Amino acid sequence: MKSSYRRVVPVFALLLAGCANDPAPSEQMKLTTQAFSQAHDVGVDSSVPEYSLAKDKLERAQKAMLTEEYKKARVLAEQAELDVRLAEARVLNNKSQTHVDELNKQIARLQKRLESTP
Amino acid sequence: MMRLAFSLAGLALMISLTTGCASSTTTQQALQDAKSRYASIKTDSEVLRSAPKDVRRAEETLDKAEQLASYWGSSKDARHFAYLSQRYSDIAQEHANLRSSQDKATQLQLQIERLQLKLREKELRSARERNVWLTDQLFNLGTSQTERGLVMTLGDVLFAPGRSQLNPTANETVLKLAQFLQINPKREVRIEGYTDDSGDGDRNLSLSRQRAQAVAKALSTLGIEEGRLQVLGYGEDYPVTSNETAEGRAKNRRVEVVFSDENGDFVPAR
Repeated sequence: MKSSYRRVVPVFALLLAGCANDPAPSEQMKLTTQAFSQAHDVGVDSSVPEYSLAKDKLERAQKAMLTEEYKKARVLAEQAELDVRLAEARVLNNKSQTHVDELNKQIARLQKRLESTP
Repeated sequence: MMRLAFSLAGLALMISLTTGCASSTTTQQALQDAKSRYASIKTDSEVLRSAPKDVRRAEETLDKAEQLASYWGSSKDARHFAYLSQRYSDIAQEHANLRSSQDKATQLQLQIERLQLKLREKELRSARERNVWLTDQLFNLGTSQTERGLVMTLGDVLFAPGRSQLNPTANETVLKLAQFLQINPKREVRIEGYTDDSGDGDRNLSLSRQRAQAVAKALSTLGIEEGRLQVLGYGEDYPVTSNETAEGRAKNRRVEVVFSDENGDFVPAR
């Protein structure tokens, strides 16, 4: 009876430790921060809804890191990374679309000039 | 007492089952959304071509979400992975859209270059035609081919009597001259002023120079660079006809515009 009790305690302790000591997601935090700076480089800002979402999650992840709630920090940081990458892709898309619109306008102008040149 | 305990336990079980159901419903919903989002991109060849990595991750995270959903107590993690999968799908879709609009931009750019070329050719042709027309006009306005090259004569009537100001009637002539110089950018002009022999020689010399200068100024106002305009005053020298009659004197009071050839070279000045 005593020996089985001894065997149970370490296993139980291990389970508890596993929960409390989720490793600190430092690598993920770095990845997420990099995704943010890449997004800033192409001019992403709070006007993009996904960016605001990402920023909120990043701040909450950073707070969770301070209080050592590592599981929570990792989940938030992973989501923030993809949110901000989506925001970046949307901005790049908008820019590209604007460029296409400008080219179309330029074509219209050229065609008009061609028509009016005798 | 026993009965109460049983019914309490039953109630507790029911509550826990209901909440379990609610949470598993949202998890199932999240999974379903992620699945259908993934299904919509994985068959899109454009997406596969432009964002293969994100498509693969969308699949991996979706698999993980489904796996976790089947474990007891992992529904929160399952929802997290379903969320990631949706995001990967969205990102892949955006990248495909970006690529197709970039391809479109490349095509349009080519079209623009073709149109610009076409326009330049057309404008060149039209400029050549216009040049021929303008040269004709200049000949009509008193330009002739001489041993000094092409020379245009602006008569005395284009100036206020005895003064250097150009009359409004000179506008058309000066405008044609400017247009001709604009479409013949290598040509330069030497503007030479002449008077009759009446009155003071020095005054005549200065008036001839001032009249030539007035023509140069009008041209530069119309956008001709001053570097292309030489100004000379000859006063009473080089009359075209006798100064004996009023008619002859009027003919001698003139400004001559001598054109360089197409390379900017002149027959030397007198």
